Amino acid sequence: MGKTMSPASKFLINEENIYSGALSCRGCGWTLLARYVSYVMGPETVYVVPACCFSIISGPNPMNLMKGTVVHTLFAAAAATATGVRHALDRQGKQDTPVVVLAGDGGTFDIGLQALSGAAARGENILYICNNNAAYMNTGVQSSTGTPKGVKTTTDPAGKKTAAKNLMGIVEAHNLSYCATASPAFLTDLQAKLEKAKKASGFRFIMIDGPCPPGHKHDPDISIQLARLAVETRYFPLFEAENGRFSLTHVPEETVAVSEYMKHQGRFAQLFSDEATNGLTDIQKQVDEQWQKLLDRQQYENAGT
Amino acid sequence: MTTTESILKQNPPGAGIPSRHSKKVMKGNIAAAEAVRLSRVSFVTAYPITPQTTIIEEIASMIARGDFDAISVNMESEHSVFAALMGASLVGERVFTATSGQGLLYAHEVLHAIAHMRLPIVACNVGRPSFPWNIWADQSDSISQRDTGWVQYYCESSQEVLDTVLQSYKLSEKLGLPVMVVLDAFYLSHTSENVYIPDQDLADTFLPARRITENQVDLNHPKAFGGLVDPSLYDTYNRQYWDAIHQVEDETIEMGHEFGELFGREYGAVEAVNIHSGTKRILVTMATITTTARQVIEHHPDVGLLKIRLFKPFPKKSVLDVLEMADEDCIIINIDRNFLGDHEGALMQEMKRALYGKPVKIFGIYAGLGGRDVPPETIERILKINFESPQTEEVHWIK
Repeated sequence: MGKTMSPASKFLINEENIYSGALSCRGCGWTLLARYVSYVMGPETVYVVPACCFSIISGPNPMNLMKGTVVHTLFAAAAATATGVRHALDRQGKQDTPVVVLAGDGGTFDIGLQALSGAAARGENILYICNNNAAYMNTGVQSSTGTPKGVKTTTDPAGKKTAAKNLMGIVEAHNLSYCATASPAFLTDLQAKLEKAKKASGFRFIMIDGPCPPGHKHDPDISIQLARLAVETRYFPLFEAENGRFSLTHVPEETVAVSEYMKHQGRFAQLFSDEATNGLTDIQKQVDEQWQKLLDRQQYENAGT
Repeated sequence: MTTTESILKQNPPGAGIPSRHSKKVMKGNIAAAEAVRLSRVSFVTAYPITPQTTIIEEIASMIARGDFDAISVNMESEHSVFAALMGASLVGERVFTATSGQGLLYAHEVLHAIAHMRLPIVACNVGRPSFPWNIWADQSDSISQRDTGWVQYYCESSQEVLDTVLQSYKLSEKLGLPVMVVLDAFYLSHTSENVYIPDQDLADTFLPARRITENQVDLNHPKAFGGLVDPSLYDTYNRQYWDAIHQVEDETIEMGHEFGELFGREYGAVEAVNIHSGTKRILVTMATITTTARQVIEHHPDVGLLKIRLFKPFPKKSVLDVLEMADEDCIIINIDRNFLGDHEGALMQEMKRALYGKPVKIFGIYAGLGGRDVPPETIERILKINFESPQTEEVHWIK
């Protein structure tokens, strides 16, 4: 696995707000995320879950993985159903009860984007969390617009030709009080972001990198190491924007080639074959450009203070 | 009270100004908004579409004036409009929206979910067809949603809109079924007429606050709603739904009677006019065409009128009771203001289904599609068709 990094990863869970027996695949990011989110949000939380892996993981009827309330809803409707839940709770004087959407990338980048944009623009008091495993995994690894360039899926068997949609850019354009990216390998960072998001009001958004052994084609025991490499290679940068104020929350100390992250995953295998052209170089270039843009933005904003 | 009594007792002659009401001139859409206020709805979602828009505008305006204590949220699509209602209804609020045509069709997926989550949601649909563009009266939109599991009432007048919305919440919350109250575009939605508006305390007597059941979100007893149901259980929920849907016709009659006692206006699942042993032909109508037909049959002593108010589930029992009153050779003529790509219109289909096995002569008329006016002369032309002749086609298109 190359060099082992050891970022601060202390996220002590004193009280479990999920039950055991989650129906996730081995090495899945969803169940870990559910533990962390529910610990910060507390048991008196209403989760709204559109069609996604988590609608299965959280348990078939009448079971419930969460110690909070779970409202399952339609694929395109997470942010809209959460809007109704929010207003009804407010109406009943329960303004302090968090309403949290737990959605996948398909339900966020694609079919649910309109409802997401509507709720964000209305400033609905909702925390929307997207577990981004970068494809429609629940239906068997089809491309979403969150699938990065070069990734092999069942609907892009030769590798996706276009880059992932810049969802964070779209979401941030709604002038949110808080939005961030996060990683299951950087738990102190994740905890701080969840707490900030909980404290803020209005529409808040967190996108977390979602390890997926069956979809990304890797061994389940390296999920967290891969998530760490995604950040260290700058493939999945960690940042946040509080009321529009941007900051990178982890700047890798060393430069690690993105191929170090990709080579362990079958979804990128065709880029490493003998017939591969310059796919890897293209992706490295794209990652470098993306990182430079984020650095420029950070420097620009800091220069202004 | 028997079904037959309820069918005949409607619209008693000589009704003066009912007590505990004020009289106003208003359009069907405004009557709908008034009914939403009187029903003490707390959460409304809105998305504009002609010809429904003045309903949500009036509600927004009543809230802004401080006349109506509710929240109205402007959503970004009808899919979200109905999906937000799901969330709020699940948490226990009394909710409402209104839509038309494309909006209803766009929300189709959510309509199924609302029904099968057994949420007591009431929505108005001001009917218009789909495509190419047309904004005028047509029932194809709502009738194409008849298999989503929503109860559907079709209204003839602004008064009936107001009264039906109030009754719909009561029925919806009693049986755990969503209800669609359908208005004809423009002929009802934008036509002004006298409406008796009940006092709030009278409405409250009929429709108390929503009772919260174990099927709602309770933060102290967290549950999951709508999770995966496997094949060993799915039909159990369908069967419970089936039991509820079978109560709708009787409950409609019962509720219509209770409403009559309090408000002085009686309602049933259907209404029969001039149907007796001498009736040779019966016009079967829905919504505003009924009013026109009422005038026309005054000149035809042997023609009766059967108004279908509850369309889904189809009130078979009431229909059979009405036909019992007529001559057994009576000809049944259904007027369909909907075209769903089939030989006959939906009303004719439902009537055939209800009359299965009975030796009746039944005909279908497509009329008023896409908002084409159906004046008395059109009804007269329908009555001029020689239905006695064996050569006469089963389905006719009338301009």
